[in-house]
Amino acid sequence: MANAEVLQLNRFSRMDDTISAENRIIAWPRMGRIDIPLKALLLSLGAKIVIPPANSNKALELGVKNSIEGICLPYKLNLANYIMALENGANTLMMFQAPGSCRLGNYTKMAQKTLKSMGYKFDMVVFDMYKSKMKQTLQAFWHVTRCINPWRYYKGFSLGFNKFFAIDEAEKLLFYTRPREIHKGEAEKYYNKWLKIIDETNSVWGAKQLCRKIRKDFKKIAIDKNRSVPVVYLLGEFFVLLDPYVNQNIEKKLGDMGVEVRRQIMFSEWLEHVLKPSLFYRKESHRERCVRYAKKYMKRAIGGEAIETIGDTVYAARHGVDGVIHIMPFSCMPEIVSQNILSKVSKEENIPVLSLVLDEQTGEAGYITRIEAFIDLVKRRKSKLKKKKEI
Amino acid sequence: MNNQRKGRDININMACSKSNLNIGIPRAISYYNNYPFYYGFFSKLGIEIILSDKTTTETINNGSKYVVSDTCLPIKVFVGHVINLLDKGCEKIFIPSIQSTDYKINNCSKIRGLPEIIRNVLDKPFQIIEPTLDKTEGIGLKTFCFDIAKEFGITDKNLIESAISYGWNIYNKFCEMTKSGIPQQEALKNAINENIIKKNVELVRPISVVIMAHGYNLFDERISLNLINKLEKMGVKVFTSLNITRNEAINSIHELGEIQYWANELDLTGTAAYYMLNKKVDGIIALSAFGCGPDSLMVDEIQYHAKERNMPMLHLTIDEHTGEAGFITRIEAFIDMLIRSKRKLLQKQHNNLKILREPKKTIEKNKVLTDSLA
Repeated sequence: MANAEVLQLNRFSRMDDTISAENRIIAWPRMGRIDIPLKALLLSLGAKIVIPPANSNKALELGVKNSIEGICLPYKLNLANYIMALENGANTLMMFQAPGSCRLGNYTKMAQKTLKSMGYKFDMVVFDMYKSKMKQTLQAFWHVTRCINPWRYYKGFSLGFNKFFAIDEAEKLLFYTRPREIHKGEAEKYYNKWLKIIDETNSVWGAKQLCRKIRKDFKKIAIDKNRSVPVVYLLGEFFVLLDPYVNQNIEKKLGDMGVEVRRQIMFSEWLEHVLKPSLFYRKESHRERCVRYAKKYMKRAIGGEAIETIGDTVYAARHGVDGVIHIMPFSCMPEIVSQNILSKVSKEENIPVLSLVLDEQTGEAGYITRIEAFIDLVKRRKSKLKKKKEI
Repeated sequence: MNNQRKGRDININMACSKSNLNIGIPRAISYYNNYPFYYGFFSKLGIEIILSDKTTTETINNGSKYVVSDTCLPIKVFVGHVINLLDKGCEKIFIPSIQSTDYKINNCSKIRGLPEIIRNVLDKPFQIIEPTLDKTEGIGLKTFCFDIAKEFGITDKNLIESAISYGWNIYNKFCEMTKSGIPQQEALKNAINENIIKKNVELVRPISVVIMAHGYNLFDERISLNLINKLEKMGVKVFTSLNITRNEAINSIHELGEIQYWANELDLTGTAAYYMLNKKVDGIIALSAFGCGPDSLMVDEIQYHAKERNMPMLHLTIDEHTGEAGFITRIEAFIDMLIRSKRKLLQKQHNNLKILREPKKTIEKNKVLTDSLA
């Protein structure tokens, strides 16, 4: 059967080869801070790169203009990133995908068609992150750079990974310090300073030291340890969580309101879990923990981050977290399922949950009002519970 | 009582020895494509099937009460049907989770998570029979069926296997009939009585269209607002996904240069592609529910290819507020346009009437009709 033949190949990886390796100028879609580690990786493999400008209103407008109405927000921004990168001289676009998750698996297919019909000429390199992960990732990077020096791969991946860890470490410390700091804005300054240092680090040894140095440096910020700070878990869809433009910098807003945010999806943890061979990955991954906790409500994973959302909410409720904010793009399929389930979880586990749906029309004022109201509720609930305990 | 009788109109004359065994099947989602198989399987096992009533506006209203407003219409309808079954006193309800139908060919998240949604949204005591079909993870149809039987305490391997083959038997009969052009409901009725009927002489109709839609949208008369009948009344021949085989659909997708991504892509892209490539139709009508994730991509894909081939296309979006009047207007306008362009084409090509008896269905200078017609 012809069908069987097609299945033999990996249908979802795509590696165009019309441009020779030395002429390639590589670009990838933006999401939060992933440009820093990827830049380090590709530069150490000897590639030329273009980094498209960060997501902004202009990018969103461009994306909305060139995509269909029904598609979700992340795609629109991805497309805009591609267009901006191609305008800036890129000719090779890289993207990963995970078939079986949701519409994400179809992004590259659609983007390619749209860009071709717009008249751009480019190569698309897509690698599958579902199974056979590390192998295909390496293959994709070999394909775009044709680099055969193993030391460079070691350097690139080590730099990349360590930078991911460093960024996430800095972010975690920022979330912790921001609501507690005595001089407003100090933590933010430290964070920005460290982002710059992370970006400039260019040796494997230096990258490995980053985490330790960041931890040491953040201790210098004067904090008020006795302040009563409610803890809120931030969870939901991957892209929306990680991109500060899309979620309108919700972490900063919450931090300024005096709330400690704990974002549940950290890119480095996810990447480590996905890429590391299971032999070396012994600890319980975030996803496994979620599956364990979500068992009462969900028996099977249904794609996307639905099971993570449920599992984390249950985990939060059982570990004394004060509230959960769940964010998702409009018409996100897996998150609609979890939104349906969350109301029951919230009731049974006794934890306040706020679901925020984001799209290109989200206004900032209404968004802030809802968050403020929710935080008021969380704070009041916390003080009530405290009083009860004291009695 | 009246409701109960209505629901069981299809499954009469079942001499089941264990009449206390029964299962409720909601008349939504996988019912429309897979019910012949379910019927054969359950009846061979001696399990009585209780079907929910046909979809009404009340069903939709009941369903919408329980789920968040962003959920798409078919899921709301599904919840409504489950409530209907519970009102009938059903204790076991069949809600399969069809995760993937082939390696890395997955379904929409909401269909994959149907049992999860129902379990958490409805706060009523009942048992969900929730087998999983996930071929990416190696859970095939056999495990799926054995899981169902286990819930009823049936472990006789031979009985279950014969039930599976009986299910296939009925399913094949159903497919054979629908492929020859018999309407879905008629084919279903005959298939479960183990009849095969042949179609009478086919009327030649001047215009033919293909509808690309999920079975649960198209064959549900309330959701689709009886689209097929409306078109046939206008003198339009309608082709649906049931008129072609699975292989034809898969091959057409490859011929277009696409890859199958969604489990139910054959119903949409496959069907539309088949008729578009074979030039058997004058136009394509896409029917999708508002906020449907897979549809937004598949319809766009076909729109792209239809534009290239100058095939007119109409995209109808439905939700619970869709009014019938506006719906009809759009269809009529589309059909009028098809007729006019076809007449023009024929006039241009041939000046004698002889040819009109067997019109050659070649389409040239048609305008592509997009969503903006409304």
